[in-house]
Amino acid sequence: MNGNATSQYNLSADEIDASCRVPLLALFNCAALWLALGLALELLASLTFHMPEKFGGCAFLTYGRLVPAANDLLIYGFAIPAGLGVMLWIFARLSQTELVLPLVPIIAAHIWHLGVFIGTIAIFIGDSTGFAWLEYPRAPAILLFAAFLLIAISALATFGARHQRELHPSHWFLLAALFWFPWIYSTTNLFLLSGHPVRGVAQAVIDWWFANNLIFVWLALVGIGTAFYFLPKFAGRSLPNYLALFAFWTFILFAPWCGIPQGAPVPAWLPALSSVASMLIIIPLIAIAIIFVKTVCGAKTQCKGGPFCHIKFGTVAFLLSSLMLISLGCPHFSKIGEFTWFAPAQAQLQILGFFAIVICGAIYELLPRVMNFELPFPKLVRAQHWLFMLGLAFLIVPLAIGGIVQGLKMANPNLPFADSTNAALIFLRVSTMGLLFLLLGSLLFAANLFATFCKWQCALVKSMLGIVNAPLETSEVKS
Amino acid sequence: MNDEPKNSNPQPEAESKANGSTVPMWILSLTLVLIYLGAVYFDHHGGWFDPQVYSPYKNAEELDSYQPKSGAAAILAQGKQTYDRICNACHGADGMGKAGQAPPLAGSEWVNAKGFKRVTAIPLDGLNGPITVKGQQMTFPSGMAAMGAALSDSDLAAVLTYIRSSWGNKGEPVTADDVKAVRAAFGGHPAINGETQLKTMPE
Amino acid sequence: MKSGFRVFLAAFVALGLSWCGFVLAPVLQLGEAKQTQILNSSDTYPIQRTGDATLGLQVYRANGCAACHTEQIQQSGMACDVILTSAGKNSAAVSNLISNLKLTGLTKEEADAASDKITAAGGKSETHIAATGADISRGWGIRRSVAADFLYDSPVQLGGIRVGPDLANVGARLGNANWQLLHLYAPQDVVKNSAMPPFRFLFNVQKIGDVPSSDALQLPKEFAPAAGYEIVPTDDAKNLVAYLLSLRVDVPLYEAPFTPPQISTNVPANKK
Repeated sequence: MNGNATSQYNLSADEIDASCRVPLLALFNCAALWLALGLALELLASLTFHMPEKFGGCAFLTYGRLVPAANDLLIYGFAIPAGLGVMLWIFARLSQTELVLPLVPIIAAHIWHLGVFIGTIAIFIGDSTGFAWLEYPRAPAILLFAAFLLIAISALATFGARHQRELHPSHWFLLAALFWFPWIYSTTNLFLLSGHPVRGVAQAVIDWWFANNLIFVWLALVGIGTAFYFLPKFAGRSLPNYLALFAFWTFILFAPWCGIPQGAPVPAWLPALSSVASMLIIIPLIAIAIIFVKTVCGAKTQCKGGPFCHIKFGTVAFLLSSLMLISLGCPHFSKIGEFTWFAPAQAQLQILGFFAIVICGAIYELLPRVMNFELPFPKLVRAQHWLFMLGLAFLIVPLAIGGIVQGLKMANPNLPFADSTNAALIFLRVSTMGLLFLLLGSLLFAANLFATFCKWQCALVKSMLGIVNAPLETSEVKS
Repeated sequence: MNDEPKNSNPQPEAESKANGSTVPMWILSLTLVLIYLGAVYFDHHGGWFDPQVYSPYKNAEELDSYQPKSGAAAILAQGKQTYDRICNACHGADGMGKAGQAPPLAGSEWVNAKGFKRVTAIPLDGLNGPITVKGQQMTFPSGMAAMGAALSDSDLAAVLTYIRSSWGNKGEPVTADDVKAVRAAFGGHPAINGETQLKTMPE
Repeated sequence: MKSGFRVFLAAFVALGLSWCGFVLAPVLQLGEAKQTQILNSSDTYPIQRTGDATLGLQVYRANGCAACHTEQIQQSGMACDVILTSAGKNSAAVSNLISNLKLTGLTKEEADAASDKITAAGGKSETHIAATGADISRGWGIRRSVAADFLYDSPVQLGGIRVGPDLANVGARLGNANWQLLHLYAPQDVVKNSAMPPFRFLFNVQKIGDVPSSDALQLPKEFAPAAGYEIVPTDDAKNLVAYLLSLRVDVPLYEAPFTPPQISTNVPANKK
């Protein structure tokens, strides 16, 4: 790829970015709101362990409704729309064209956020489906599915309009993600929530398959795709192409097979396949680690808590969360780690530590270009980075250690069960602090986005007033 | 204020995809080694897709070996299984028999007799001709074939034990050794000709 | 890769394979499952839950009880015990033999070998099989949970974390409806240091009428309502308790065999 080729294209980066402005804002603003709300609900839920009496009077405050609502807000409210927004921008930039069909993502964003809103209300009034990570009932699920398809249409159209036919590694990951979600979401909803749901424990198997493909695979596809776009860009290097291809292939072949817990009430072949897959996941992880090291280490660019730092940290968090997933797939460790706080710690590390940080970093990088002005509160970027790192350290590490302590106590039948829960309590108290830091960080993120939106609206109003008040110009007649 | 972000330049920002990198050989070998180890693990722990094999059982044979085989309940279960397979059709699932086909076994004095020899000889040799059961004389045109001759000693003993303890019958169980003794004495003989010949046999 | 179509194909193959393995195959293998039989019996298993209990499952789902409780007992192994049923003719030799043999906590091969030795000495023995594991030693259940246990549940609420104890066999363990209602209203009353939040919204505070309601909870002073008032469970609470009491995993199946504690049969164990 050389610089001469660009002279053929009449579009500058500014025009490409400007075409993305409204769709991305429609996706990002509500996403930031859902992120903050989701973290607030997680915080509220974790307070149940410190003052259980206060949470007994109202059905809306019961732990079993708060946690699913919070989890779904994080994944459906924040992660997926933010990821899709970044994906649209990356496609536009890589295609060197404006975003195709920009009105479609705008409408889709509103449909999506409406679905999230209805789904959250449904969980609170007791209509949750009862399946982990799939608690939204049929109506909001249909809205989410339709909205995703609409965004996918625009993304694919933008991809198809590209000038240069060679694909960037980000293309593979992001295109696979576009294909992944509609399939897993529709098939899971059809088998579990349609008029004739499948019978018995097969429901749980499909739910585990869906949760793994959503939380582990889909977030990884979008997050690593985004990281593979930005890391070479920041570091000023090129991405190792064939190694990325190898990582892509091995990841999509092996990762969808993880997710069945060991010791589940299903025939032995299901957890055995998951164990094997967990072991094989090491391969793409090693490949991604090598790519990361080759691209980033020794790069001259400084990061200073900016987007580069975000994305570097997020990628390392992905490697850590994958290692946690691999350990849960190992039968010997899962005897201790299963049914403890270790598994939620891994899920939170994946969603918050890896995906949220990578996407926030990407948004901080692309938003000034899309809006054509700098962020209103640039210092808050670094503050958010530190708050998130602190929050994750206080959330994930105690939960993981607490989970192992809890598991060791549970595995000893001579100890009463209450010992295991009580041993984990001190770790839960520390994790509540972590959630507080994360919530503050997310509020800073939302502040930047909201202020950007306001500034843009003010600029729009100003320019419209300017147009209204300007003297009419007649076109000169050239003789 | 500079509105342009620092990295912007007229050049496209898509990364160059250098082909200089290759996939190192060791990672390919590691992949193959792990796939092999995974296959071995699945062979040992996967139960080969059997829907009834759950961990900690490793395969269907191990699960089968742990099924309770000794004990009175197991004998009854074994006997019931064989009864359902062979005797049910004529003598009925409730042991009440079928008119013209088979006499009832429930409450039958032949079944509840103290000795086991006659009741064991009937399935070993077969039975023709009239027989009086519970005071009623019955005839069966087609008679009974030697339905138990092909069964093993323990299977036949289990069926007889089941018959002698079901539907209100109070007969004592029949062991495999008992069946072996009767088979040695009476096995292979032609079908017993009616009640009269049956009564000549020791109880 | 040079074309988007190839990426689509790659994703299709990868996702399709895992869909076949973890969606299609379980639906075919487990989704059409029918009732099975209890081991050594002609009784079918499982039995459909009563109406109250089915409504209770929906209360369980709506309140997200699966966020803290699991319903899956795990098992890590099997142990065999060899029981002497008859000393036979050489009782002295047989008793000498068994005093030197290890007869409990054996593997199947060891149990078969011991059993053969006893038979060779003229005695008769039975092998009893028990499940082992931390869950089972703790008394949460007598065998592992299997697919047949969840045949009639929709949605299946297996749970994923044990903030609270496992509930798969709670109907057999804590089968007292009053205890369950008290525990829902004031967990700290019945379980010291319980981390469970109270579920007071499943109960109504009502003025005592002419006669106290037969449903009213008997609470100690610190949890009791104001004078003249009583705590009565709502239908949701009663259905939830009916569901909890219906949770049992205590019969042997082919895929999870064990020797039940008492074999009831009208046939004596030995003859002669």
